Amino acid sequence: MSRPSPLGTVLRWGLFAWMSLVIWAAFFYAPAAAGFQGQSSRIVFFHVPTAWVATLAFLVSCIASIRYLRSRDPKEDIRASAASALGLTFAILATVTGSIFARIMWGSYWNWDPRETSITFLLLIYAAYFALRAAIADPERRATMSAVYAILAFVTVPFLVFVVPRIYWSLHPDTIINTQGRIKMDSRMFQVLMGSLFGFTGLFSWLYSLECRVEGIRRRRQHEVL
Amino acid sequence: MWRFLAESGAVFAKDLRTEFRTRVALNALGLFAVTTLAAVSYTIGPYRIAENDRPFLLAALLWIVIFFAAMAGLDRTFVKEEDTHTAPLLRLSADPLVVWAGKLLFNFVLLGVLIAILVPLYMVLMGFRVDSTAGFLLVLGAGGYTLAVTTTMVAAIIARAMSRGALFSVLSLPLLLPLLIFLIQGTRAAVEGSAEGVSEALRAVVSLGGVMTVVSVVLFPVVWNE
Repeated sequence: MSRPSPLGTVLRWGLFAWMSLVIWAAFFYAPAAAGFQGQSSRIVFFHVPTAWVATLAFLVSCIASIRYLRSRDPKEDIRASAASALGLTFAILATVTGSIFARIMWGSYWNWDPRETSITFLLLIYAAYFALRAAIADPERRATMSAVYAILAFVTVPFLVFVVPRIYWSLHPDTIINTQGRIKMDSRMFQVLMGSLFGFTGLFSWLYSLECRVEGIRRRRQHEVL
Repeated sequence: MWRFLAESGAVFAKDLRTEFRTRVALNALGLFAVTTLAAVSYTIGPYRIAENDRPFLLAALLWIVIFFAAMAGLDRTFVKEEDTHTAPLLRLSADPLVVWAGKLLFNFVLLGVLIAILVPLYMVLMGFRVDSTAGFLLVLGAGGYTLAVTTTMVAAIIARAMSRGALFSVLSLPLLLPLLIFLIQGTRAAVEGSAEGVSEALRAVVSLGGVMTVVSVVLFPVVWNE
């Protein structure tokens, strides 16, 4: 059994300390935003990063899928599948945190706001990706077809994220990068949000590398059994 | 170029001839659409919707009927090649892009026939009136093409998988939901006679159709030759 590298251990502890600091700062350093009910605005420090990671995972999955189609290297298929699995998890987390915020601010957990609609589509696309993987027995064909589907799905994302909210009127607060290209946020809130985005991206990278290794081991075991 | 068009036309003519022998796709699409329309007309009818809600709700119901009917038969074009074991012969005798163009044309024409029968029936049974006929026809045409190009690609993917029927809907609908939203908004604008609304929705539909066409041209040979 290989021992973990010292750098990896330092990075993992660094990530633990950073995320602890982000959680502390989200509740005790950043002020509550004006115009929101009670402390509800603090959920932004967790909701936005989970939504960001869900989208980032989609991008990673799409890039790995393109690389698979070019190289036919099974490692790229493992990367695409691992990124999609994490993307699905983070999309569920973004939906749940958004739903809690919606209940506090608008009185209902779900009202088909364009942003809620977009994240639902993203969840459905991820779920469909895994339904496709489950329906093809041959590993090479499964990798190719799911890579093609991941790319097809990725091209619809800009329409979901940018076009659908423009066509429908939204209750959702202005996104961080709004149509005026200006950041409307208290500086301390902005610092915590950036810190949280950085921390969640680090968390995704760690989970992603773990998931890739686990999937690699699982496939090697399957290969040995067969 | 002429050769490409002639060969695509030959694939289209072959599909049309085999379809008229069995009429599986045509019957599935037509009967599904008529049954759904009868159910919608019986349960909701032309007068149970408040006047203010009519443009949006009737546009939404129309596209839901068309989308679900499309899910019932547009996969046949590739599934039948696998079922009858004619796909290898087609692979040997035609370039992948020729096959893609022929199948796309076949699905587009099939949808065109469905829309030509369904829409007048829908207008009669649901009391659906359109203010901007030209805008409505443009939305129908662009929507039909984008629906056909997306489902053609998904049909090519699922033809090589297990439990194809269910998988076709599962994979297609998440990719088509943004299109459904744009088409409902465009049709609503056409009903209300808003040229600006029709143009905004058309831009989104044509962009999505264009992106899907480019991605399909690049990826179809990969799927077809797998």
